[in-house]
Amino acid sequence: MKKFVDDPAQFVRDMEEGIYLANQDALKWIPEFNIIVRADLPEDKVLIMQGSGSGHEPAHVMAVGPGMLDAACPGAVFAAPPMDYVLECTRLLRNPKGILHLINNYQGDRMAWDMAKEMAEAEDPDLAIGVVIINDDVAVQDSLYTVGRRGVAGNFFVIKAVGAASDEGKSLEELVALGEKVNGWTRSMGIALTSCTPPAKGTPIFEIGEDEIEVGVGIHGEPGRRRDKIRPATEIMDEVFEAVCTDLPFQAGDRVAVMINGLGGTPISELYLLYGLAAKKCAEHGLVIAKNYVGNYCTSLEMAGFSLTLSKLDEEIEGYLNAPASIPIRVF
Amino acid sequence: MEKLTQAQAELVVKTMTDVALANEAYFSDLDAVMGDADFGRSLAAGFRVVDEKWETLDHSSIGALLLNVSQALTANTGGCSGPVWGTLFMRTGIAFRGKTELGLDEIIEGLRSAIEGIMKRGGASLGDKTLLDALDALVCSLEDSLKTDDHSLLDAFDRAADAAYEMRETSKGWVAKRGRQSFTGERSIGTYDPGIIAIGDMAKAIAAALRQ
Repeated sequence: MKKFVDDPAQFVRDMEEGIYLANQDALKWIPEFNIIVRADLPEDKVLIMQGSGSGHEPAHVMAVGPGMLDAACPGAVFAAPPMDYVLECTRLLRNPKGILHLINNYQGDRMAWDMAKEMAEAEDPDLAIGVVIINDDVAVQDSLYTVGRRGVAGNFFVIKAVGAASDEGKSLEELVALGEKVNGWTRSMGIALTSCTPPAKGTPIFEIGEDEIEVGVGIHGEPGRRRDKIRPATEIMDEVFEAVCTDLPFQAGDRVAVMINGLGGTPISELYLLYGLAAKKCAEHGLVIAKNYVGNYCTSLEMAGFSLTLSKLDEEIEGYLNAPASIPIRVF
Repeated sequence: MEKLTQAQAELVVKTMTDVALANEAYFSDLDAVMGDADFGRSLAAGFRVVDEKWETLDHSSIGALLLNVSQALTANTGGCSGPVWGTLFMRTGIAFRGKTELGLDEIIEGLRSAIEGIMKRGGASLGDKTLLDALDALVCSLEDSLKTDDHSLLDAFDRAADAAYEMRETSKGWVAKRGRQSFTGERSIGTYDPGIIAIGDMAKAIAAALRQ
């Protein structure tokens, strides 16, 4: 293993310290529970939190800020947060308007969040907690860590929409309905060129040959649809696009947001090359691209690869995607 | 029928802790037959924290104490045992909120809620050869005692402990359908389930401790 790391067991803590030190005016950090929370926590809106494992940055610790998440409490790399992290984060956000739990569909996450919700409600019977489960990955029906589809990069659209809607003062019920609508209209699939190495593990999570790709890979390296040989980018995009597009299915005339998400180790040049191919596929299918996103949104450490996400828009969702937001990642 | 006092309820938790700590190696050995040999160690790790933090836990009511125990167990017990045992104490903690004594009907209600919660959490059903089967046998016995209007709570606990204890032999011939043991399928026939053994041993120890 060759990484910039001191004590591998402290990797998440040390990463969060860096995020905090770079954003001390905007964020607070509670190392004991891996919590990153807005320093200017609003008092007059539903507050939104997400957990998941670490190793997917910028999801979710770097997605905390006005118009996005109000707090995140990730677990260790590729591991769901323990129940007490979720409970502590929920306590921190306790407010009369309610709290929205965004959960990617993995067994460990669902168990921890479900328990924390019951525990928080037991402590404070007046506390309202809403839940949106995200499961946008079309690659496989069930996988190593899930019953049902996995939640991957599409969760960005759910966060962005409910984040903006909560700023507008929407109720917890309205946010749950909106989150479910966005999730229901969002589909993703990923391709891996290489594996990746969690610092505390020290070895790659799976083996893949020099000339091989994993079609439909999960964001923890879980197997997808099949192992294949590397092919020209156009052929790979054809397969991924068809899998994603036919699943909803998206139909000619639909306005969509298109995301080419990097899995961590693929240069932005290749991501834009892929975007160009995706844009042409959209035109072929009569899809109207209203918004595009190219970059690292939900990664698997240093894995080379990408995922394609299509999200169907209506006037309401498009408005929320265009609303202002601010998170720790910035270019200027 | 007399009620279970808070001091007795605390003794119940203390006794469960003692059993978990005293049987760390034994429960792990049981798990090694068909599982990954970590059950005893995981359970002891959680109850050890309960033991260490005992004085600092919230003793204002039975419910408050059980909720504190639930948090300590969930946070410190590895694998699936954390959510399962944590849910046992959380659901009973919620049911006994603010109470400083418990009638048999309330105890039954709390334990039924715990069984339902554990089923929801882990997706197991009765008959899947998990600790739920021992818990259910225990509660069924308590329900029988409630119906017969027997006037001794301790007698009811004795009978319930026997029912939970007997489940280890009853279930021995079953196929494990949940948890790590289920991966071995038919091979799990003829083996003991460590969770069922743990509940039976704890129930026996509780009944004996309350007699003293």
